[in-house]
Amino acid sequence: MIEARQLSKRYGDMLAVDGVDFSLERGEVVGFLGPNGAGKTTTMRMLTGFLPPSEGTASIAGFDIFNDPIEARRCVGYLPESPPLYPEMSVKSYLSYVAKIKDVSRGERRQAVERSLERCGLVDVRNRVIGTLSKGYRQRVGLAQAIVHEPPVLILDEPTAGLDPLQIQEIRELIAELAAPAKGETQQTVILSTHILAEVEAICRRVILIHQGCKVVDAPLSELTAEGQSLEELFVRETMGRSSAREERA
Amino acid sequence: MRHVTDVAGRELRSLFVSPVAYAVLSLFSVLAGVFFILNVAWFNDMLLRLQQFQAFDQLEMMNLNDHLITEFYGSMSVVLMFLIPAITMGLFASEKANGTEELLLTSPLTAWDIVLGKFIGGATFVAILTGIVGLFPGILFVYGDPEVGRTLSGLLGLLLTGWVYTAMGAFASSLTRSQIVAFLIALVLMLVMLLLPAMSDLGVAAGASWVGDFFRYLSANAHVERLLRGLVETSDLVYYAVVIGTFALLTKAAVESSRWR
Ligand SMILES: Nc1ncnc2c1ncn2[C@@H]1O[C@H](COP(=O)(O)OP(=O)(O)OP(=O)(O)O)[C@@H](O)[C@H]1O
Ligand SMILES: [Mg+2]
Repeated sequence: MIEARQLSKRYGDMLAVDGVDFSLERGEVVGFLGPNGAGKTTTMRMLTGFLPPSEGTASIAGFDIFNDPIEARRCVGYLPESPPLYPEMSVKSYLSYVAKIKDVSRGERRQAVERSLERCGLVDVRNRVIGTLSKGYRQRVGLAQAIVHEPPVLILDEPTAGLDPLQIQEIRELIAELAAPAKGETQQTVILSTHILAEVEAICRRVILIHQGCKVVDAPLSELTAEGQSLEELFVRETMGRSSAREERA
Repeated sequence: MRHVTDVAGRELRSLFVSPVAYAVLSLFSVLAGVFFILNVAWFNDMLLRLQQFQAFDQLEMMNLNDHLITEFYGSMSVVLMFLIPAITMGLFASEKANGTEELLLTSPLTAWDIVLGKFIGGATFVAILTGIVGLFPGILFVYGDPEVGRTLSGLLGLLLTGWVYTAMGAFASSLTRSQIVAFLIALVLMLVMLLLPAMSDLGVAAGASWVGDFFRYLSANAHVERLLRGLVETSDLVYYAVVIGTFALLTKAAVESSRWR
């Protein structure tokens, strides 16, 4: 459903993302890990078509981001690092606007909005102006915005940042439900970045770890934790080890 | 381009809940009222004075269209020049500052959906402002008999001028994430537009008459003058369409380049 081929992004002299390759099957939930500045946000921005890759390409649900940009974007629900909200709009009219520009047909729009309000626990604040909501609620509206058109692919950049423990629990359940839905609903493929390793252990079946723009780990979670090591140990070893190796070379 | 109306509708609704729109609307109405009263007083004064000096042939020449409505439209076009940038400065800049640019550019929208939607949102607001201007000459029809055709074609000239300013302001807003910078760029563009006749004279003085002709065609003056005289000509309408279209193209290029940076 998501395929990245040699994705690279160069900012001036710096390679923020360096030839990242991966391929996700339908229904996979993948944790996208890496230290600050590793290139997670940049990679996600390239997948969603917000940033053009300097080299390489990607395809979403079979649509190439260069050749079929509109089709590819239609298949993506995207929660950016900072939720893209209009502070002066009410929650409901905002979601209804997003549904419109994401090509949800007029007849299904109302239901789609209701459903995303419900799923993200926003029913009580549906008529509130977004600018007056707390940070956690704004994050929820951002998530609701990403799922309102029920896209086959979800790209979530730190979806649980700023949420309370209870809400984190609910969002995790929601993500699990999206990937393994009840009959008759579309199964969604999810890639989410996070710094909370427990979250990855709770909902992801596969881990991609990037460090300084390069992919260093890509394996099923079960495999990684098989030898009794924790995800945290792996993270520290992969990211610390590599950078010291780099320094030694230099 | 199926989403133009969605983008335009959201823009308008957001404008109407923002304090800027109400500040502009009320300031504009007050200024329109003040300028209208000033123009009426000036017109009255002229009549009285001409009577006093018994300048009957000049008195004969005085009419509501030339000496009141046209003057009033002229004052209002200057007011629009300063207020429209305040309306347009947020069109693109605020999307960048909010982070909502990331939503727009990752949705299945074309660049034209975004650019035309934004322009139409702003242009509708400017049409409302022009409508307010139109109310005042309406009063004159109760007490006098201005020419309907000229009054309306002059108003059309004001509307088209406003839309040119809107297109310029939208372009300015697409260049930056700061609304204040967008406001200033828009003002500079409009000042350049106003200076075109002077540049045209310079061109003629320098002996390059085609440069002079070119700048004179680019300047809105000749076009709006014909509209104020009641002449609605296709060539003038084409002029406005070309200027607005050019700025729309520039805006589209700016939006696309931000996607490809
Ligand atoms: N617009 C930009 N111009 C220049 N450099 C940039 C730009 N955006 C990101 N970078 C750089 O690219 C690198 C990767 O940044 P990115 O935001 O993708 O990291 P991240 O993995 O999402 O980090 P975090 O965990 O802090 O969110 C960083 O070194 C960052 O400074
Ligand atoms: Mg990030």
